[in-house]
This record gives sequence, structure tokens and C-alpha cells, in this order.
Amino acid sequence: MTCEEFEIAGLDLGGTAGNSAQEQEAREHLRECARCSALHDNWQLLRDDLHAIGAETRDAEMSGRVELRLRQEFRTQHKTVKMRRAAVITSWGLAAAAVLVVTVSWTNWQHAKRNGFDKNFGVAVAGSQKVAPEAKNTANDETVSVDETLVASNDGGEFTLLPGDVPGTLENGAVVQVRMQRGALGAFGLAVNEERAADWIQVDLLVGEDGHPEAVRFPRSAN
Amino acid sequence: MTADVAPGEMQIDSIVKDDVLLRKSARGDEEAFTQLYRRHQAPLFRFALRMAGNRWAAEEIVQDVFMTLMRDPRKFDVERGTLGGYLYGIARNRIMKHQERLPRELPLELEVEDGNSALARLSEEKTPAQWAELQQRREMVREAVMELPMEFREAIVLCELEEMSYEQAATALECPIGTIRSRLHRGRALLLAKLEILRDAPKRVSAGR
Repeated sequence: MTCEEFEIAGLDLGGTAGNSAQEQEAREHLRECARCSALHDNWQLLRDDLHAIGAETRDAEMSGRVELRLRQEFRTQHKTVKMRRAAVITSWGLAAAAVLVVTVSWTNWQHAKRNGFDKNFGVAVAGSQKVAPEAKNTANDETVSVDETLVASNDGGEFTLLPGDVPGTLENGAVVQVRMQRGALGAFGLAVNEERAADWIQVDLLVGEDGHPEAVRFPRSAN
Repeated sequence: MTADVAPGEMQIDSIVKDDVLLRKSARGDEEAFTQLYRRHQAPLFRFALRMAGNRWAAEEIVQDVFMTLMRDPRKFDVERGTLGGYLYGIARNRIMKHQERLPRELPLELEVEDGNSALARLSEEKTPAQWAELQQRREMVREAVMELPMEFREAIVLCELEEMSYEQAATALECPIGTIRSRLHRGRALLLAKLEILRDAPKRVSAGR
């Protein structure tokens, strides 16, 4: 065994490393080489010191408060995780509920809107009809005649605003066909030919959202 | 790595493997985490203490190691090695960061839990002069160990101070046994060289008188 080999393997003599053949060679070299013998002695002295230093702290442990702190941190962390998970689940639940509520509300609103539309037309089941856009336009165009004395047109086909009505509120009105005596038109503020006041006539009343008649039309068939 | 249980502490079922405990711990089992802590804290603490040089830093380092394990237990892969090796790896990183941030403040402490110096116990068997000489020599050895480069110091701390076998040290540092051998060889050579200089200096001074 050379001095270099001894430095690598021989310092562990009696230690944990090396097989027996290698140890024999190292011991032989140790007897023969004064330099390596001195090195070995120095190392053994140093090793004793190292072991003694190691022994001083062999039983050293973490203080108990660190364990307590770590356990506290562990509880906090897992509680936080659980709470965060619960919060996420709750928020998703709330979001889903909100979407559901909005969807149901929108569907109901649409349904109600359609029902309202049908109701408007429902009056016409007894002979009503939807206000024609041109009829509305005509009614709107008759603003000028509001202040004039109105005469129920006999040969109209167009709506005539009743006195006191404001044009432009007829958008959602419904047309109601009514059979009445001509003289009853006077109750709407219309001038009536007294000679024919007892005649039964068919009129279309344009009824506003508030249920009050707002315009009147004499269908050609009623003439 | 062997289980390390302090006397009087919770009994650890050594059959329960680290990875099983870690899985339970990841699911929020506090007892499993405590078992892992108690199993590994002492060797890690001694390693950190001997590497960093003071108790305060060692406690901070080991606490940080377990905080890392607690926060991200899934980073440990049982296929890649032991939990002990994994924890040593984290501890080594923390020690390196600690030493970059804070240069060594205090020498390796001699104080033990009861507040008495371990060396003081030896003084009963020696004369004051012998005790002073011994203390001075060990102080030099401590200084020399602390001044070794990180990788050589690790090998010296594990194999000489902690008296681990090469296999155990290799497992702890997650490196081949050959690497431990070569680091130990270099570490020993550096220590001997440093202590030769330190020991020769007083001799030369006394020779000059």
C-alpha cells in the first residue's frame, strides 16, 4: 500500500470502512511508514475530539415550543384549507342559484309578457283586434283635432281620439268591439245626431292600459 | 434512517412508514404529522446545529424544513428516496441560505438542556490546566470544522460527529457512497492541515521564547 492509498483507506483503521485484506495492508504500511504513522496518530487524536464534540450534542433536540408552534400552524393551515374549500363550494352554489333565479325570472317574465299580450287579444276574442299601426298613427295625427268639436265619423275606418285624450299613449291599447246606441257616444264627449240617437251601432273602442276608452272607430260594417 | 424517539414522548409505531404518515398528514391528520416530526426532528436538528453553529439558527432551519413539508407534502416522491433524505435536502438548502444571509454568529454551543457545560463535567477528571488545554483544542477543532467548505463539512458532521455509516450518510445526502468517501477524505485532509497550522503556531511561539 502506498502513502496515498493509506491516506484514503488507512485512516479508517478500526473504523467502519475497508475490508479485512485492505486493513491488513494498511496496518503493515502503518508499521513501515513513519509519516503515515504520524498522520494516523494525528487523525485518531482529531477523531477523538470530533467524537467528543459530537457527544456533547448527541442528545440535542428541538425545543418543545417548536412542536407546539408547528402543530398550531398545521391546525391553522388545514382549517384554512377547509374553510377555503367550503367558501369555494358556497360561492359556486350561490352563483348557480343566482343563474337559476335569473333564468326562472326571465322565463316567467317572458311568459307573463306573452300572457299579457294574449290577454289584450283575449278581449278581442269577443270580436276585438290588435290596433293596426296605421290606426295608431292616425290617432296620433289627430292631435290637431283634440281642441275641436269631435264628430263620430260614420264612414271612418279610422280611430278618432276621444276629447281630452293625449295622443301617443295608445301603443299598448286594445280594440274592443262594442254594440251600443249612438246616443251613448255623447258620454264620450262626441257630438251625436239626435235624430239617429236611438240607433244601435257597432263601434270599435280603443281601450288604453288603464281601461279607459281613448279612441273610437266606426267599422264600415256598422254603417 | 432510524426512528428517533425522545424518552417520554409519544410512542411511534415504527411499522408505519414515513410515506404513509405523510399521506395521512396531507389529509389533515395532525397526529401523523406529529409522529413524522418526532421521528425526524432530532437528527435534523443536530445536523443543522453542527452545520450552522448555533441553536437558534438550527431551530429556525428545522422548523422551516417541517413547514415546507406541511405546506407542500406532495413534493416528496417516495420513488426518489427516503423522507429522511428529502428532509436533509431541504435542511441543506436552508443552511446554505442561512449562511449566505447571516455569517456565522456564534460557535457551536456547548450548553446542554440543563444549562451545564458538557465539558464542565469532564473537568472533574482533569486538572484545570488539562481541562483548559482540552477546551482550547476542541474549540480549535470546532472552528476548523465550521470553516470547512459546505460539502466536506456535511460529510465530517454526518460521519464523524453524528457517527453515521457511509451508507447512512449517503442516504441522508442522497448521493453515492463514493462521493461520501471522497468528501470525507478531502474534509479530513483539510481539517488535519488546518489543525497542524493551528497547533504548530503555539509551539513556534513557545520555541521562540
